[in-house]
Amino acid sequence: MALTAIPLTGRIDSNNAQAAEAFIRASIGENADAELTLDAAGLEYISSAGLRVLLRLKKEHPALSVINVSSEIYEILDMTGFTELLTVEKAYRTISIEGCEQIGRGANGAVYRMDDDNVVKVYNDPEALDDIKSEREKAKLALVLGLPTAISYEVVKVGESYGSVFELLNARSFSSILANQPDKFGWCAAEFTSLLKKIHSVVVPEGKLPRIKDTALLWAEQTKPLLPAEEGEKLVELIHSLPDDPHMIHGDYHTKNIMLQNDEVLLIDMDTLSVGDPIFELAQIFNSFIGFHELYPEGIKAFQGFDIETGKRFFGEFMKEYLDTECETKLNEVVDKARIIGYSRLISRLVRHKELDSERGRAESAHWLSELAELLRGAKTLKFSPNELIIPAERRCLPEVLLFIDERIGKMAPSDKARMQLAVAAEEIFVNISDYAYAPGHGTAKVVIFADCENKTVTVSFEDEGAPFDPLKKEDPDVGLPLSERTPGGLGIFLTKKLTDEVGYEFRDGKNILTFLKKL
Amino acid sequence: MIISRAENGSSLILSLEGRLDTNAAPELEKAIFDSLDGINELTLDLEKLDYISSSGLRVLLLAEKEMEKRDGMRLINVCEPIMDIFEVTGFVEILTID
Repeated sequence: MALTAIPLTGRIDSNNAQAAEAFIRASIGENADAELTLDAAGLEYISSAGLRVLLRLKKEHPALSVINVSSEIYEILDMTGFTELLTVEKAYRTISIEGCEQIGRGANGAVYRMDDDNVVKVYNDPEALDDIKSEREKAKLALVLGLPTAISYEVVKVGESYGSVFELLNARSFSSILANQPDKFGWCAAEFTSLLKKIHSVVVPEGKLPRIKDTALLWAEQTKPLLPAEEGEKLVELIHSLPDDPHMIHGDYHTKNIMLQNDEVLLIDMDTLSVGDPIFELAQIFNSFIGFHELYPEGIKAFQGFDIETGKRFFGEFMKEYLDTECETKLNEVVDKARIIGYSRLISRLVRHKELDSERGRAESAHWLSELAELLRGAKTLKFSPNELIIPAERRCLPEVLLFIDERIGKMAPSDKARMQLAVAAEEIFVNISDYAYAPGHGTAKVVIFADCENKTVTVSFEDEGAPFDPLKKEDPDVGLPLSERTPGGLGIFLTKKLTDEVGYEFRDGKNILTFLKKL
Repeated sequence: MIISRAENGSSLILSLEGRLDTNAAPELEKAIFDSLDGINELTLDLEKLDYISSSGLRVLLLAEKEMEKRDGMRLINVCEPIMDIFEVTGFVEILTID
């Protein structure tokens, strides 16, 4: 049983330590085993004699806590190591946010500018102290792992709620830049993407952050009953079968949560940090710029300050930079995977907020559910790789295949000749699959590229699911024949062999796999 | 691919620009064979052509066979990467390349 907090007042030093101890013991009375809380709101000073009283009490009441500790007293407790021994809660300064500009918004609260140097993040939940602690821990972890973020230096009371105060000088959100400086669009997209790539490259020690997959499975379970049975099962299964991934996910990555402070790009909202597959992040980013606003596009203007067209354009540019491709088929593949998780999250949100029966909720759920069901029918996996392209085996797709391959070797700065030879080698194989693997328009080819920058080689493999056929078995044409004896055609596979350094064929798991390696 | 043409009496110059790949080859084949009425000499200017695959080679071979019956075909301004393809396939022996 917890006691009411026992007040400590004035100064406690060697003159009155004994009296103070007697007073505390009298207040505890018969409840010897109770958790003991001391309220230090009125405490002005505590000397070592006072600290010894606390130590004695701690021995009898291991759960001793001291609350409402002023900054001065906190410093004494901190210096003497007592903050490690006891549970010490600081007193919170009360501030008002009336008239302050809202500069950011996250899942759990909103950020306001207090003055030129400071901002405060006010939490929605009045019982937010645990959230604040958890966000501070996450921000610390992110900072230690090398990500640019602000860490709060003070917790304050804001009305009935709590807030954490950060130093943030001269900072503007990317949303505000996008809304007011259209010429900075390209710069914002590039910085937004490169910071996210940095986040996604961070490996988080096990157990430090929650797994976003667990949360996504909850969304899927809430969405499932609203979908046709088969699609509902598939949604859960697709998310379930994503492998665990120890890389960091921000979880609420949009342009209001990215700040430009002087010349530094900073993350300000860290309470949704987690680990998992990057497709979860792309899903949330899709929702922020498009999904959430699909039926009511005016909402984005109120929230982000820019219109839906800018949002769509920004998302499109971001995806191109994130996946490092202009290839439409590749972009659509990954966006469709992101939309599956994104829509599921939006629908589950309507369920949780009990908004399914409102006019807006009905319209939105109908729209998102029909999009989701359609996407699920065509989905095989939610995993994506920037080095794989699955594309209809049709000649019209040749330019996309060649573009995709060329982009993947771009950073190796190959010669024009090597680039062309690689493209010709790839064209001959892809055209061969397009013409012979399937009945026209009835199958796909998968292109997988591995660019080895260290050894300056690139390996490309083409897979199709047509009848087993080894094109390498075909005899090479005699290129020494005179014109009269040469017949048109038959040079394709021969060129692939001649223009690459190694080429091989295998039939595995029902697939024709042709692989070549080229030195660049 | 962009094909521009210049005709002077019985000689025709076709200038090719861009990529002569599987999808562009039928276009070139048509451009050549639709233009041969009254033409004895065909020149293909490849200065701005930066890509050729086997489908393009096929069209060149067909054109060479046709022009051999007349006063001939020649290729001018061939860049090194394409010249390389002509060498690998023995086309340097059967085409007239300036």
